[in-house]
Amino acid sequence: MLITKKQERNKRNGLLGYLLILPSFLAFAVFMFWPLLRTIYLSFFEWNMIKPYKKFVGFANYVEMFQNPQTYKIMGNTMVYILILLVLNFIAPYVLSFVLSIIIKKGHNIYKRIFFLPSVISLVVGSMLYLWILNPVSGPIAVIAKMLGQTLPVWSKSEGLVLVVLSLITSWKVFGYNFIVTLAGVSGVSKEAVEAARLDNVPMWRIFMDIVFPMSSATGIYVFIITIVQGLQYVFTPIKVITQGGPNFASSNMIYNSYQEAFTYFRTGSSSAFSIVTMVLFTILLVLEFKFVEKGVYYEN
Amino acid sequence: MRTKLSEIKWHLMLTAIALILIIPIIFAISNSFKTLSDAYSNILNIIPSNPTLNNYLQVFSQLPFWRITLNTFLISAAVTVFKTVTSFLAAYAFVYFVFKGKNIIYFILISTIFIPFTVTMIPNYLTISSLGLSDSLLGVILPQLSDAIGIFLLRQSMRSIPRSLVEAVYLENVSHIRIMKDIILPLARPAVISTGIIFFINSWNEYVWPVLILKSQDHYTLSLALQTYVSQESGTEFTVVMAVSVMAMLPPLILYFIFQKYIIDTFTLSGLKG
Repeated sequence: MLITKKQERNKRNGLLGYLLILPSFLAFAVFMFWPLLRTIYLSFFEWNMIKPYKKFVGFANYVEMFQNPQTYKIMGNTMVYILILLVLNFIAPYVLSFVLSIIIKKGHNIYKRIFFLPSVISLVVGSMLYLWILNPVSGPIAVIAKMLGQTLPVWSKSEGLVLVVLSLITSWKVFGYNFIVTLAGVSGVSKEAVEAARLDNVPMWRIFMDIVFPMSSATGIYVFIITIVQGLQYVFTPIKVITQGGPNFASSNMIYNSYQEAFTYFRTGSSSAFSIVTMVLFTILLVLEFKFVEKGVYYEN
Repeated sequence: MRTKLSEIKWHLMLTAIALILIIPIIFAISNSFKTLSDAYSNILNIIPSNPTLNNYLQVFSQLPFWRITLNTFLISAAVTVFKTVTSFLAAYAFVYFVFKGKNIIYFILISTIFIPFTVTMIPNYLTISSLGLSDSLLGVILPQLSDAIGIFLLRQSMRSIPRSLVEAVYLENVSHIRIMKDIILPLARPAVISTGIIFFINSWNEYVWPVLILKSQDHYTLSLALQTYVSQESGTEFTVVMAVSVMAMLPPLILYFIFQKYIIDTFTLSGLKG
């Protein structure tokens, strides 16, 4: 009696399941999946969002993209952004999490709370604050530098340096989130293994590389990927607010370039081609992640 | 003794990082209460030598500030309500229902976290324009009715509720609406609240999408209003910019101070796979 009742309810259950997902699914269908297809479509056309006709150009947008030397400059910038963001928001939080949970074991909560604080503040605010804090003439850093007989470079106009500063501003926001996630992963590593190694006088960096890092790798890979994927999108805000990609594209990255192609130059085709290539690169990263997971990274949970 | 010393060194280093992260906030608050000449001649002082509210008053005279704050609030509130409801319903289905293609649908929805916004911005911009919603709050809200991270977080928290409890009630022929309302919602409350707060804060801080959609000052959000002060970088309004910055960051900071523990726990959860 009970079983048939359960089976009968389960049948209705299936339909209701779809119904509960429907609102989310519709939202994603209209504003995520359909646009994705449309962007792929637009990448094969020449258009400016206004003209009534789109001109089919095949792969021309992609070919042009890879023939344009500017593309390689922007990809190079993107690599530099990724490297700096990884050092500040992947490696540094990892090392500090190790220190906090294995070496000093105290103050987790207070550090977590303070480090996370900037993560709730908008990057527009962050950009404005740093624009003034690092103002090369009258900002506080410039004043301190002057006392020491130094002058600050005009960083927003210096190729190379501008990438570093914009990455720093972005890291100000991103660091705290990555830190609390990494700390949770590292804290989950078996304390026995670490203590045993310490008693055997294994040096700290070996404990980190051979025990803690592999045993928290599931979280580690997540933070690694999120740093690249979200980080590059976060950098968009300081770029847009402070430099608009300048000077001479020295601070543009793949995300900002797509935006600029579309909404400054109104070249939907090359913007779309650029976006699709960016997405493919992100997808390759993800596939690599799943490959790693299959190879059996250690899951701490 | 040696370990003690290295512990102190590490604490100093962590404290230094904490200071680097906090100082910009203190810098903004302190300078927003200084007069312009005080700010320029004593930029390193934290305490203003003759504190003034003038910068804040100026903001109100330069911008339709109440209107802009209200816009930001309305967008954030609407986005938060929609995202929380749709994510909650979807998470409930993913945890307690059996249906064909469930795992694939879940996987596809979650994968969207990794799609860069540039891939959807042109079509979404065209959609919003063709609906006649450009330069309107609704145009900002509409593409944000659900959220993959929200579904992920709420699913995680529902999975920690004992299944047997829900199944037992379910066999008593209790409706799903009542199960959600009387069992799941109370038990998952911390996660629901903090997911909602995360939605609100993120929406409050949002910049990329509003900057494409909103054109007139009356429809601006705080992020857009703040951005208009960049062009005056070389100008004289430095302390006013700090006042706008403080007002833009105040609501998220207050929410953070009240719900700190919830928010940190929920964000921590987001990094743990399930």
